[in-house]
Amino acid sequence: MVRAMLTAEELQILSTSLGVAGRAVVFSLPVAILFAWALSRPRFPGQGVLNTIAHLPLVLPPVLVGYMLLLAFGVNGPLGGWLKATFGIQLALTAGGAAFATAVMAFPLMVRAIRLSLEATDGGLFEAAAVLRASPWDRFWSLALPLAWPGVLAGAVVAFAAGLGEFGAVITFASNIEGETQTLPLAINAALNTPGRDEVAFRLAMISLVAAIVGLLAAEGLQRWARRRLEG
Amino acid sequence: MSLDLRGAVVRRGGFRLSAELSIPTEGITVVFGPSGAGKSMMLSAIAGLHRLAAGSVTFNGRVLEDVDRQQRVAAHERAIGLVFQDARLFPHLTVRGNLHYAEHRRPAARNAPITLEISRLLEFEDLLDRPVKNLSGGERSRVALARAIVSAPELLLLDEPFAALDGRRRRDFARFLKEYGRDMGVPIIVVTHLIDEAAELANHVVAMRAGRVVCSGQPAEIMTRPEFAALLDPRDRGAWVQGAAGYAPGDGVWVRADSVLLASAEPRGISARNVWPGEVAGILREPDGAILVSLDTAKGYILSRITPEALVDLKLEEGGKAWAIVKAHAL
Repeated sequence: MVRAMLTAEELQILSTSLGVAGRAVVFSLPVAILFAWALSRPRFPGQGVLNTIAHLPLVLPPVLVGYMLLLAFGVNGPLGGWLKATFGIQLALTAGGAAFATAVMAFPLMVRAIRLSLEATDGGLFEAAAVLRASPWDRFWSLALPLAWPGVLAGAVVAFAAGLGEFGAVITFASNIEGETQTLPLAINAALNTPGRDEVAFRLAMISLVAAIVGLLAAEGLQRWARRRLEG
Repeated sequence: MSLDLRGAVVRRGGFRLSAELSIPTEGITVVFGPSGAGKSMMLSAIAGLHRLAAGSVTFNGRVLEDVDRQQRVAAHERAIGLVFQDARLFPHLTVRGNLHYAEHRRPAARNAPITLEISRLLEFEDLLDRPVKNLSGGERSRVALARAIVSAPELLLLDEPFAALDGRRRRDFARFLKEYGRDMGVPIIVVTHLIDEAAELANHVVAMRAGRVVCSGQPAEIMTRPEFAALLDPRDRGAWVQGAAGYAPGDGVWVRADSVLLASAEPRGISARNVWPGEVAGILREPDGAILVSLDTAKGYILSRITPEALVDLKLEEGGKAWAIVKAHAL
């Protein structure tokens, strides 16, 4: 049905967007869980710094985030050069780079949802697990993560939905390359800047809107489902 | 063999617990005291859930924590089971899942019942596949106890374990605990503020008030002391008696002064199963006007609260003879 409704170009753009957002979530989810876990613990030295790092993309202009990524991970950047020389991996100007930039921008949303879920867990349960011989690492896997599962799921879906709309960081770090890094917002921007492509821009905007609404509804639905399962 | 707290200090939220104590690691030790005495905090410190601010805890010679020597064994490495007052069952698991959680983490060499055995013993086999949120308070208590036992602890701590149980379950639970401790050789420490539970379970008593240990020792010795009586609500005043009618010879029970009748002559043809002759050791007028009579019997000192009129009618005086009468069902 989607194929019948969309043109080949639109399908290509949607597919790039879904791929970029999907990979962004997969990249950042494990790191977001670790950050959220650390931030939900009782206070420890360096926690404030960790919190600032996690939330920085939320307050910085996306273009600035993209620029900083370019400085660090560009082909001539210290980390980008090392990645290229050691593993042959280039992030700047590639779909992988678009996913990376999207992951960085969606990171605070994910950390926040997971952290709230972890903090809502009854700390007494971890004490109960400790006296049943569960080590801290064991308690993380066997209790913290399963109990925070609805938050993890919601964080991932919200980050995915937000990732579909990421613009500034992606265009700065990965540029707007058709069929490679051109996601929905980049394509809308390109169409708006091309005379006679207003209709294309409008259709892409509608696709973008529907994708965002579906993403948010899915997040809500998944969270309810996970919570119901958790509570039996 | 003992559990020793030497100069142990725990501070939490403005409350200070200070304990100097040696508990024998056999049988059941009851930690008794009013709410806010620091009983639960002491259990948490023994289990390793609260850090000591000073002092040490050793269990059968093994140092669990020593602040001066900067030694500390983490809670999950202490092999000490703790049954919390609020059960703390894992909500994302079924009853079986909760028990398996403990079973899969115990050392292979430790001998203890497995999930199915313990669920039969504690009569909740039919609940095994239920989510824990569907359990009643009493069922949660039994599952929490079972989970702790399945973890094969070397020492079992219970915090107010009877709070959610009704009368019959309470009696079964107490009997089960005694048998488990004896058969498996696991020492048990039970925290309670209920004198009946304390008297029924204790092989050893630790009395606490305001973060300090008031006294500790055998029930027959400790529960007759004035400092122990001072911890009791006036309506709970009474005596610890061993081998009352309806109880095994070694089992203790708390006989409240309010449930003891006195007779000045040997009673005949009455239904009461407990009739203990004795000598009047003391007569005390209480602030509310009631008379507290202490009778020295073969069962120990028995207290009876009577009215001033009854004292006059019975012509009781110190050194005189009297009989204490208690219905078995009143215990």
